[in-house]
Amino acid sequence: MAAHFSVARAARQLSSSAARRPSAFVCQRWQRPAIVERRLFSGSAAVREKKYTEDHEWIELSADGKTCTLGISEYAAKALGDVVYIELPQVEMDVAAGDAIGAVESVKSASDILTPIGGTVTEVNDALQEKPGQINKDPEGESWIARLKVEGEPEGKMMSKEEYTAFTEEA
Amino acid sequence: MAPSRGLGLPQLRSIFATSTDPRGNMALARRSFSSFAERLADPGNKFQSYLSRSRDPYLNLSIEDYILRNSPPDSTVLFLYTNRPCIVIGRNQNPWTEVNLCMLDAATHGGRAAKDTEPPAIGDVHLVRRRSGGGAVFHDEGNLNWSITCPRGDFTRDKHAEMAVRALRKLGVDRARVNERHDIVLDQGHTKRSAEPNDTHRTPYTVHEGGSRPLKVSGSAYKLTRARALHHATTLLASPNLHIIPQYLRSPAKKHIQAKGVESVSSPVGNIGLDMTLFQKRLQEEFAAMYSGGAGKHSAVQTLGEEHLNIPDIRRGYDELRTEDWMWSQTPQFTVNLQPFDGIHVEMKVHHGIIKTFDANGATHSAGSLEEVRSALVDQKLQDIRNWNKHLRSRIDSWEDHHSVVADRLEELLPIPQLSTC
Repeated sequence: MAAHFSVARAARQLSSSAARRPSAFVCQRWQRPAIVERRLFSGSAAVREKKYTEDHEWIELSADGKTCTLGISEYAAKALGDVVYIELPQVEMDVAAGDAIGAVESVKSASDILTPIGGTVTEVNDALQEKPGQINKDPEGESWIARLKVEGEPEGKMMSKEEYTAFTEEA
Repeated sequence: MAPSRGLGLPQLRSIFATSTDPRGNMALARRSFSSFAERLADPGNKFQSYLSRSRDPYLNLSIEDYILRNSPPDSTVLFLYTNRPCIVIGRNQNPWTEVNLCMLDAATHGGRAAKDTEPPAIGDVHLVRRRSGGGAVFHDEGNLNWSITCPRGDFTRDKHAEMAVRALRKLGVDRARVNERHDIVLDQGHTKRSAEPNDTHRTPYTVHEGGSRPLKVSGSAYKLTRARALHHATTLLASPNLHIIPQYLRSPAKKHIQAKGVESVSSPVGNIGLDMTLFQKRLQEEFAAMYSGGAGKHSAVQTLGEEHLNIPDIRRGYDELRTEDWMWSQTPQFTVNLQPFDGIHVEMKVHHGIIKTFDANGATHSAGSLEEVRSALVDQKLQDIRNWNKHLRSRIDSWEDHHSVVADRLEELLPIPQLSTC
């Protein structure tokens, strides 16, 4: 568990530092990824840039591309309103890209959570069973939904934070 | 759990080609259901209107889900249906806390005779878990369900409840309005005040504080996908069962179960007192006026029915809704507190329909001897147990009185009725 928490913490550092200086982050992203990773994570807990789907999920792949964390975007959490229940996937469940791996209920509405990448669920965020409303507070950090051991690459359109923001502003 | 995918028409045709037609009179029906799939998915059909002649809740919910997943992204579709008597719970609800399952069991399968103190049940009542959110509702032939599937971008939770209120008011139901829970209620105020006639959220009879509570006549629930939003709602027009609905929706086990998930908000309900066909037509006209700007369009309503089960995605959804897994294992995790005897507390946790823990605490020797019960229950799937007494008796070697007490208590709090197979 400790290792997982450190991944989550590192992920938060990454997203908050990206938010503070988005342009610098974008510039460095492709040119010197190794340096960025080393500076932020001192080695093992490195993650790749968070990517967003048109269904308003995000995934964050580990540097080696073998595992990922999945959640719903801040935009989605806000649009859904007060979340009263989150249906989490079962650990060890095998999923294919495009499958529903859970659902969120808010104000009498059920919305599927889809995974853009296939694999096996290795961990779910049990804290959301106790307090589903937490997902409205920190959907892209502490209130992640599930972790997967991935197989293959994400399918469908995956967007960077900037592209996703533009996408939600269009909608 | 995976969303059903859009079905390619070539695939559909190949299924038709291989199916045999022993009686030769299915050609018309076959054309009708293939034309439904084609008409529904046709990007030119921006506004579509359907009516089901089936009374099967599983079929109607599956047709509705098929419409949600296969209609063009920018289209708006009205679908009307009426179900035979059934209780429909929300996707994330607990049937043991929401429904008086003993009443279903006794009525439908003669499992155990209803106690004298229980009101008479009304016969075969199905239990259904829908895919949308929200709370538990009772359906019967006096209740019209309407559903609207529209682009997600156009969706608000009130928009189509307002449409239904306009239809009701045109039929003289001037007490109808949309409330803050997106339901439709009939105001019960005694004096008439002035109100803006086009305000669908207020009537001349709206009472703000005190006074008679409005009666709920229509409840809403929603299912959202990326591009589409489904809003479906009940409309109590003339149910003969109003007196008994509260009995079905009141569980004696509720106070002994702590359940995650969604709890229903109970409201006093009433009948609107309108004819089914009259309101159907009015609603279809209101929909036509709202979206295709003209009267007369409602004549293009297509009727759907049992033959549409031949569409593979509808069949798949239908079969899934009828599984024991969907009914019982989809239940969010819950804890049952049994107090089989004085001084003994038993806490049983159930997750994904599987008993995870069974812990007895107490001062007497009985707590220890419940160990056999524990090992007979932990890791068992509720639907495989079915009958608690039978299950435990077949697994406990030296059956004692206190085992019976526990088994009876479980039977009382967590009955697992056989789902109707008809």
